[in-house]
Amino acid sequence: MTPVKHNLVALGSAAVLAVYAAGYTRTRSAAQRFATESADRRPPAATPPRVAPLEPAATPRSESPTLDTAAASVLSPKKHVDAPSRAGGKASRHVDSTSTPPAAPAETVAPPVIKPPATPTPDSSAKAVAVQATDSATQPADQSRPYKDGTYSGWGTSRHGDIEATVLIKDGRIAAAIISQCLTRYSCSWISQLPGQVAARQSPEVDFVSGATESTNAFYYAVVEALKKAK
Amino acid sequence: MTDAYVRTIASMGTVVTIHVVGHGANRVDETGRKRGVDAALAWFDEVERSCSRFDPRSEVSQLSTRIGARVPVSDLLFEAVRFALAVAEESGGAFDPTVGLLLETRGFNREYRSGAVVRTALEPDDDATYRDVHLDADERTIMLARPLVLDLGAVAKGLAIDMAARELRGRSFADFAIDAGGDLYLAGRNADGKPWSVGVRHPRDHQTLFETLRVSNVAVCTSGDYERRTPGDDGGAEHHIMDPRTRVSASTAASVTVLASSAMVADALGTAAFVLGPERGLELLERDGVDGVIITPALERFATRGMRAEYLVEGRSSGFDS
Repeated sequence: MTPVKHNLVALGSAAVLAVYAAGYTRTRSAAQRFATESADRRPPAATPPRVAPLEPAATPRSESPTLDTAAASVLSPKKHVDAPSRAGGKASRHVDSTSTPPAAPAETVAPPVIKPPATPTPDSSAKAVAVQATDSATQPADQSRPYKDGTYSGWGTSRHGDIEATVLIKDGRIAAAIISQCLTRYSCSWISQLPGQVAARQSPEVDFVSGATESTNAFYYAVVEALKKAK
Repeated sequence: MTDAYVRTIASMGTVVTIHVVGHGANRVDETGRKRGVDAALAWFDEVERSCSRFDPRSEVSQLSTRIGARVPVSDLLFEAVRFALAVAEESGGAFDPTVGLLLETRGFNREYRSGAVVRTALEPDDDATYRDVHLDADERTIMLARPLVLDLGAVAKGLAIDMAARELRGRSFADFAIDAGGDLYLAGRNADGKPWSVGVRHPRDHQTLFETLRVSNVAVCTSGDYERRTPGDDGGAEHHIMDPRTRVSASTAASVTVLASSAMVADALGTAAFVLGPERGLELLERDGVDGVIITPALERFATRGMRAEYLVEGRSSGFDS
């Protein structure tokens, strides 16, 4: 083992301070963009031109799917009504980790198919599934209504299996995105929490869970696929 | 957690959520909270734009188009690379940020939003190591002495978490949590006024938690072999944490969880410890003054002294092997 050459903890703190001092003003525009996003969702470019990487704040940015919500009102009443009625039985899936059938933990077991319930259940609890107002990087730039209203589904693939996402387009924008089907080698319950409880992945037991989410990617591929159909 | 402001974006290949606890409900507080969280989240995009090897226009990708040249870079990229190189040296090369091309050729090559495949126009040089990355601190330049692609995956996300935490602290928030795909920073207390409870995911059974920790003002990062596997025909035998010295994925640990005051430190040291395996990994963590627990594929637990003494919740912490 190499002898100690660096105090990594001190070096890490110094790095954060240096970047913070240098970058404070640069992030201001990005912060403003997040702030105005919910009011005026400007469709982003899929691959924003970035000719000046050293001054990123001055260039267009690729938008992130964004959820903006207070925990006390994870789903607004309006969306409760809209999402299921538009999405219909095939799309909406009420996700509740406690009610998910226990899936086989082993890698060797055949993929469990979790069907969405026939009647979607609008739910005022924080466990309801619909993703609120999601922007996607696939939206073309400079069109105020990039998508046709309706409900669209697409599949995303990961090493662990496939995920079907269903997106609800309302007024040309993504009003909700959910996982409607899940065919993976592992349990779907924690994946299902992605869109609704998204990254918090809270459980009754703990505030947060440390450990990565391998199927995040599959969810995004699925959403991207679904959005292609909405154009 | 009723009295909390929560906001989520997708960035850096994962889902990022920030919770800010409480502070009442008047308009002024609410607006300040939103602005603070927006500013904190902006760092994730900022870091991604400099440090993502999946984006051909990122600063780090641009470096690979100018092999042998001293390229002026932003403070952000410079600090990220400087830190990555320090960890590489500290771990004797068990952590090495020059594995970008290796990861790319093994199929870890898709941009998460578009699904676009990245293909760097470089012949892989199997002899390239972190020693081929030259920094000039005065000029703020980086020079790649051999054809290579920097993978800052184990540093950049942690840096973004640290920047977001710094941003929130700078705005006088004391109680908040940042979750970037299971890498966490927990500040102050949760909505119940208690230290945050954090579950460490079981590396083989995703339904259960391996440990439960009570933490405050600390980053908790977990590297696991279950995370991302190769998309090849081998049934996903390889995962994304390569041993840079053998150029195959490391196999003596199933997951490593590290607690440190900085997420960048926790994430990078966790990755290094993962590659080193239980004994030497634990040694590295102890030596660098951070706490952690290493779980082997046989589900044996190896924990640092501080980890056993401070963080493990009563009743769940028995049976440590180390």
